[in-house]
Amino acid sequence: MSGTYIWRRIGYGLITLFIIVTLNFVIFRIMPGDPTSLVLSPDFTPEMRQLLLEKYGLDQPLPIQYVLYLKSMLTFDFGRSFYNRQPVLEELLARLPNTLMLLGTAFVLNVFIGVTLGLRMATKQGTRLEAAVTGVSLFLNAMPGFFIGLLLLLAFAYYWPIFPIRGTMSVPPPTEFWDIVLDRIHHFILPVAAVTLSGYGSWYLYTRNNVIGALSQDYVLTARAKGLPEQVVLYRHAFRSVLPPIVTLVFLSLPGLITGAVITEQIFSLYGVGRYLIEATTQQDYPVVQGAFYIIALAVLISNMLADLAYGLVDPRIRLR
Amino acid sequence: MGRLVVSDLQMHYKTRKGNVRAVDKVSFTLEPGRALGVVGESGCGKSSLGLTLLRLLPKNGEVVGGSIRLGDQELLQLTDEEFRKNVRWTKMSMVFQGAMNALNPVLTVGSQIAEAIVAHEQTSKKEAAARARQLLEMVGINPDRYHHYPHQFSGGMKQRAVIAMALACNPQIVIADEPTTALDVMVQAQVLKAMADLRERLGLSMILVSHDLSVVAQTCDDVAVMYAGRIVEYGPVEEVFTNPLHPYTQGLTQAFPDIDAERAPIVSIPGTPPNLINPPAGCRFHPRCPLADEACRRIDPELAEKGRAGHKVACLKVSDDGQAAEVKFA
Repeated sequence: MSGTYIWRRIGYGLITLFIIVTLNFVIFRIMPGDPTSLVLSPDFTPEMRQLLLEKYGLDQPLPIQYVLYLKSMLTFDFGRSFYNRQPVLEELLARLPNTLMLLGTAFVLNVFIGVTLGLRMATKQGTRLEAAVTGVSLFLNAMPGFFIGLLLLLAFAYYWPIFPIRGTMSVPPPTEFWDIVLDRIHHFILPVAAVTLSGYGSWYLYTRNNVIGALSQDYVLTARAKGLPEQVVLYRHAFRSVLPPIVTLVFLSLPGLITGAVITEQIFSLYGVGRYLIEATTQQDYPVVQGAFYIIALAVLISNMLADLAYGLVDPRIRLR
Repeated sequence: MGRLVVSDLQMHYKTRKGNVRAVDKVSFTLEPGRALGVVGESGCGKSSLGLTLLRLLPKNGEVVGGSIRLGDQELLQLTDEEFRKNVRWTKMSMVFQGAMNALNPVLTVGSQIAEAIVAHEQTSKKEAAARARQLLEMVGINPDRYHHYPHQFSGGMKQRAVIAMALACNPQIVIADEPTTALDVMVQAQVLKAMADLRERLGLSMILVSHDLSVVAQTCDDVAVMYAGRIVEYGPVEEVFTNPLHPYTQGLTQAFPDIDAERAPIVSIPGTPPNLINPPAGCRFHPRCPLADEACRRIDPELAEKGRAGHKVACLKVSDDGQAAEVKFA
């Protein structure tokens, strides 16, 4: 893999980002209505309105606004929330750890459970065990995540209340460090379980199907013929050859994590980025929505770039130029 | 070095519609250092025979009878683990169609050779790698290409690498399944020559499975002609191809153009190979055979020596002194 390839990839990424950011700007400008009308009560005097427009730079001609906007995006200065006057970036960062903890854990579990189970079951194709595992996985995969979440809440937080029904920490919060950690884990088990149960299935099916395909390849027959132990055949030959698409999928699914946070955090009332995005949208808190969109776009682009690079690393047939 | 004696070997594929009798009472002996060609149409069981010998059958393939003896060891009695450790690659190895997908595309060619050595011998990875380099050199590939991937090799090189791989653990017998089928004629000739040289140098026995009579004629000492899971004619290559006795073998040789002869139309054998779930009674070739009569429909002919020494044929229409009517296929 050459340096020029990486730079070119970054270049393309920047161009795409520029286009997305510009669209983000244009869409908000061509929407009917005046941004201030969403913030201000009609009782405000025209003088006060003018003052606000100047404060937000909205009295400037569009090209100047555009340049100012670009500058603020580059510096991650998304302004202040219309709703509670706090800087958007701070609000987002405050919620980010919870979201990362929830989705990071669930994602790692999803991939780990799905891929290892898929690999195991691919060798047991046609057995009752495999049929059962595939059936259950298909079922869970087809169930909407929020529904699984609600069922879990009903079962383990309502009828048999061993887990908290809402929130990220107990009220009042514990004070000792280890108590805080345990309290967090206690609150996160159900949401993580919900995301994992509804999400591992696609990894399972993808891995299982790919490994079954690989196991019928000629090179697996060669590997067996050589007298390699079955574990070596499975891991080094079959699994290794399906690794490239799986690794790519891992990176391509990363942006989906952020958007996936929205529903889960809402159901479990977690203090996270996803729920914040819902609140901001319903409250027409445009600086927040704009900032969140920008970050999501950035995450998508970076993940795509990483997927491309990773593919080149795990698949020797891809030559990156 | 022991001889390989296969007797009455029967292998069936179990399917929902019934058992496919892919290998049906096949017997032959392979002496050390000899090369046996196995020829026949697609679906006659020749590849299944190779896979049966190395126990590489798919899950539904099952040996239902017969014996495979190598030296004084009955191979069918070994457990899978014993077979994997003590027979695969160390005594019997296989040359697959390298031009296709026999090499794993995401592993280097060298490491795929070395891993066979590591699996069977108490050697360090370094020693195994050094041996793999020697093997590559032996088949005419620059050892520096150890670290290259299959897609960086040409078709002929891939095939030679697959041959090098088959020799990694000094086997006695190499089973080659259509080793040159996907190669163009020039490369095919190079690969065949390389195989013949190596075979002579290392004193290997070989079973060459092919549908290409000329390849078998060029490289083998003996030939077995298979039809519908059976060996129908067996003998020294020269004898069988110049004096084919079985009507099916006659058809095969007539279907092959001879560049030295007068221009003659190529004949084909009418009909298709039978369904092996429910093969025809009597001689399996009778529905396609111009000589077939009532007896052929009833009696299943045995493979027996007729005429010259070592020339066996399973046909009622061949007399005991090896006289066969010349068969003309329209």
